[in-house]
Amino acid sequence: MPTVVLMDASLSMTRPVSLEGSEDFQRKNLAVHGLTMLFEHMATNYKLEFTALVAFSSLWELLVPFTRDYNTLQEALSNLEDYDKTCLESALQGVSNIVQQEWGGTCPCQVVLVTDGALGIGRGSLRHSLATLKQRGEDKKFPLPFPFPSKLYIVCIATAEELQATDAMDNLEQLLALSGGEGQIFTMDAPLCLKSVQALFGKLIDQAYMPFHAVLRCGNLASDVQVFPRPEHVLLDEELEPIPKTVHTELEIVGFIEIGDIASPPVLSRHLVLPIAVNKEVDEVGAGAAEEIEEETSTNQMAGKSPNFCVLLHGSLKVEGMVALVQLGTDWFGMLYSQADSKKKSNLMMSIFEPGPEPLPWLGKISQLGPISDALENPYGEDDSKSPFPVLPKSKRSYAQNVTVWIKANGLQTDVQKILRNARKLPEKTQTFYKELNRLRKAALGFGFWDLLKGVAELLERECTLLPDSAHPDAAFQLSHAAQQLKLASSGDPKYLAFDHVITPMLTDFSGGGSGTDRM
Amino acid sequence: MFSGAFTSVGPSGWESGVLHQTHRTGDLQPVNTSTMMMFSVSHKTVFVVDHCPYMAESSRQQIECDMLTKGRAQGMIPLAPVSKSLWTCAVECSMEYCRILYDIYPAKKLVNYIVSDSECHILNTWREEDQSVQELMTALAAVGPPNPHEDPECCSILHGLVAAVESLCKITGYQHEARTSLADVAHRVSNRGRIICLTNAKSDTHVRMLEDCVLETIQEQNKLAAGSDRLMPIQQCELVLVHLYPQGDDTLVSDRPKKEMTSVLSSEVHSVRAGRHLASKLNVLVQLHFDLASTTITNIPMKEEQHANTSANYDVELLHHRDAHLEFKNSDIGGGSKESGIRETITLKWCTPRTNSVELHYCTGAFRISPVDVNSRPSSCLTNFLLNGRSVLLEQPRKAGSKVISHMLSCHGGEIFLHMLNSTRSTLEDPPSISEGCGGRVTDYRITDFGEFMRENRLTTFPHTPVDAAGRAPFERAKAQLERHTRYWPMIISQTTIFNMQAVVPLANLIVKDTLTEDDVLTCQKTVYNLVDMERKNDPLPISTVGSRGKGPKRDEQYRIMWNELETLVKMHVETSERHQQVLECISACRSKPQEEEERKKRGRKREDKDDKTEKNGKESEDKQWTQDTDRLKGKVEREKENESESGVIKDSPDSPEPFNKKPRLMLEDLQPQEKTKGPVSLLSLWTSRIAQANSRKHPEFAGRLNSISNKAELYQHLKEENGKDVHENGKTTR
Repeated sequence: MPTVVLMDASLSMTRPVSLEGSEDFQRKNLAVHGLTMLFEHMATNYKLEFTALVAFSSLWELLVPFTRDYNTLQEALSNLEDYDKTCLESALQGVSNIVQQEWGGTCPCQVVLVTDGALGIGRGSLRHSLATLKQRGEDKKFPLPFPFPSKLYIVCIATAEELQATDAMDNLEQLLALSGGEGQIFTMDAPLCLKSVQALFGKLIDQAYMPFHAVLRCGNLASDVQVFPRPEHVLLDEELEPIPKTVHTELEIVGFIEIGDIASPPVLSRHLVLPIAVNKEVDEVGAGAAEEIEEETSTNQMAGKSPNFCVLLHGSLKVEGMVALVQLGTDWFGMLYSQADSKKKSNLMMSIFEPGPEPLPWLGKISQLGPISDALENPYGEDDSKSPFPVLPKSKRSYAQNVTVWIKANGLQTDVQKILRNARKLPEKTQTFYKELNRLRKAALGFGFWDLLKGVAELLERECTLLPDSAHPDAAFQLSHAAQQLKLASSGDPKYLAFDHVITPMLTDFSGGGSGTDRM
Repeated sequence: MFSGAFTSVGPSGWESGVLHQTHRTGDLQPVNTSTMMMFSVSHKTVFVVDHCPYMAESSRQQIECDMLTKGRAQGMIPLAPVSKSLWTCAVECSMEYCRILYDIYPAKKLVNYIVSDSECHILNTWREEDQSVQELMTALAAVGPPNPHEDPECCSILHGLVAAVESLCKITGYQHEARTSLADVAHRVSNRGRIICLTNAKSDTHVRMLEDCVLETIQEQNKLAAGSDRLMPIQQCELVLVHLYPQGDDTLVSDRPKKEMTSVLSSEVHSVRAGRHLASKLNVLVQLHFDLASTTITNIPMKEEQHANTSANYDVELLHHRDAHLEFKNSDIGGGSKESGIRETITLKWCTPRTNSVELHYCTGAFRISPVDVNSRPSSCLTNFLLNGRSVLLEQPRKAGSKVISHMLSCHGGEIFLHMLNSTRSTLEDPPSISEGCGGRVTDYRITDFGEFMRENRLTTFPHTPVDAAGRAPFERAKAQLERHTRYWPMIISQTTIFNMQAVVPLANLIVKDTLTEDDVLTCQKTVYNLVDMERKNDPLPISTVGSRGKGPKRDEQYRIMWNELETLVKMHVETSERHQQVLECISACRSKPQEEEERKKRGRKREDKDDKTEKNGKESEDKQWTQDTDRLKGKVEREKENESESGVIKDSPDSPEPFNKKPRLMLEDLQPQEKTKGPVSLLSLWTSRIAQANSRKHPEFAGRLNSISNKAELYQHLKEENGKDVHENGKTTR
């Protein structure tokens, strides 16, 4: 999930923090200090995250486009200048555009708004924006909620009391609600100082940027892994209080399935599964771990040489063209597979299915998937020529069966023509002739379209009169027999009206031996 | 393969008849009751179709069925065209509504079909087996067209409407299941539904009378239902009245948009001409009622019927859940509201599939489809192509710029799905390769063996046996099997001997099984005898020499390692059953004898062997995961060593060479008690030891002196003990 840091660069951010006896800090200094800490944390523990930096006042500017280069971000932050008044709405609009341009409208994003809570005055202030929310046309809609899934973190370089003294807190809460409610407002504890700003950003890091560590297991084989990006919790849409479902830190492989059988399944999200060194003491809080980088590299080198299950699994999944079905929680599953980024690079990737007992209809219920050794005979066949998948649904869909729809006139005309075409080729086409005739008859009965039966009967009678002299004598018999049967039905005779009644070919002397159908 | 951004689609609706009937995370504002609730209005739909005498009237839309073929019977008078009755129009359009509904939601969206004349005819129930177009057609055929001669005074649509309300109160299987599972909060299971009434009304007043009747019936039925276990009060009901009239007539009823009559009932009126107008009205309604959207696949190449070698391009329109258009929501390609009643469709271009290769696409949603014009030639060509197992990628039509593949049509088990593929930049681009991470530098993984392991642990479905005798679900058994199969599974080739030996395969495959037959045990024993045979013949073993310089261990030592490993494998399974135990006993019995033999024969080589052994030992313990096993091995080896030293005769025999690396104790502290036992300590030795002690605190003792025998240090010792060096490196030396 990419991050946009939206930094307030208005003049109010230069307000000094009144602290007796210490150096003169501006709120901006505190904000920069906090963001530095965030960037350092990400550079160490969350380095695959793309982050962009936007500064705003009455105007906004994209200082650093999405990057994983935290030095660039840091540099831009330290060169930040001071501008005029706060105008949040246009800045949020800017964020919306930046994200959509880069990632499209479906990629979830985190927005970290850093502000002192002085939200401007008059036109362009947040208060003004919120007050005029309902009086806008289509073209001037408020940028929240963002058109992409988002989380809004509002980090205030101010105490809660300060914000509550004005309507700033109310406005920010309203803003958060507008964004869709996913996110949080963070405020500082008094006094405003370096220590409390560290605590402030520490809370943000804990909330949004903690790496997700788990153990990947396949029976007794196991590996410690980091899953990136962090799997988000999922809210099940039930009427009762939805309980957020979170991915377990124990990822347990259930078994293996061919790529062709799992067949490009729909997934909620995709994640890299990166093996991590087992006995490495990970700095969980993550702040200021930069000095250990040297040491870490050497641990990594060591770790590179000792066998790891992830690498083995990845290699075999790649070679065999298979995926591993993995359990993420109760009734929640995903799949592991090899994903090639380029010809040289490939990775172990995990995709998360929608929670539920049956995320993919073509696999059936996951709890009913068991080892092939339990089956009476190998469902894949001795030479891998078969597969137990896809699981067939109980009923066929309309397009997989020969349904009759006459809503458009040509649907009906085609069906009538088919009968006539076969009628002209009697007795060779006796079988298809009666098949089509019975199909039409059934549909006409279902639709209560008795007039059609009469009409087709007349058509067949006329065909009979038009038969050339060279025609097989059986043709005339069959045509008048079929016409007769349809007429009886259209007259309302209950015997001929039965839906399951089938018009069978007439037995004639010419049809040889009785069945009258084997003249193909 | 995967080219797009990381996209998350939010949680799904409980009733999803599609995969991912979702709303997205962070998109939770104005809560739409139909997606937030367990049973939305669309869970139950009741069709009430008028079967009164006036429905037998012609729709006056004429269909020419006598299409004269060219060149035949010129001057012949064609037969009169046929025309559908109002009833036929109503039935076929409602059946089309059901067809689309069942195609896209094969479960959890139910239809109850009621026909009304002098009484009501309920054609099916809420039960799942009654939910199909075929079932309904059979029942409709039994009802037949309305009788135009029936007394119109006795006939009314009201019978049907009353029955519809009663039906909505009846609990469905799904509702029953939900109530049972939520025992204590069963009252929170909702009951909502929709009534679609196809009738020919007399006037607006007549319409109002029908609405009032429904409202009253709901109130009455809700009272009844409150006191019943098998009924549920209706919380919300949508009444959709469709007034149909013959073509050419003026309508007597005016259209009216949806209006809340009470908190429970809302009502809307559509006045449409029978025939194709009615058909398109119901098509719009089914899309609105079930959140559908339309996609037109364009540029489908099709062979011409007449000229087989030419092809023309066709379009096919498909319906599906509207979330398949999620990514167009904000773009200029399409979207917009459907309220106008004008059908909108998004056009996607067919990309002729080049290969049949299986790829894993990054797909963010899959949605069942239903063709709008199911039996037209282009539609059936497309669906048959897909049903035969081919997939088709779909491209967004763009005037400029690069090609964007955003969707894929693919069939799974006879059902066609529109897959939504990710087409934006990926947030996971340029990840570190797996070879750069932990374990990335190791090159001798048992990739092929693990591939074989994966094939053996493939899954299959057991739909008819939810649990086995021990009460385990199939997927629990799959996990149990993985556990058994991995009790001893070295990950790299140089960590194992037995898994590199073809001869061990039969035993290794059998021993992991949950139960062994008598025959299985025999096979295992045969495998063991075979190994004994190999040892007697002194066949070489595929022992890895990776990491050790020189030739590696001697042949008999190789066999010792192999037997130890085999024992480790079998011991892991010895608890499984008696027969597993038998296999272990067989190994223990077979391996001891030749070992003793060897010992007698090759006494002279013992010393050397010991070093080789320790070396191997050290190497094996490299892998932390197997520490336990190797500890056990080590213990064994050490015990063997002790046995050997006990047979002191050999050691002291004059022809046995002095071990060259027999190291004296390093610390003087250790030496002292030894000396003490020899008798009184001389002044010199006391003095020397004191000086040495003092010196040792200041600097480490010269290694040569420490290792020296009678103060003579042998130079270039390492040349003789090259193998020993490795042992020191990994720090697991057994001294």
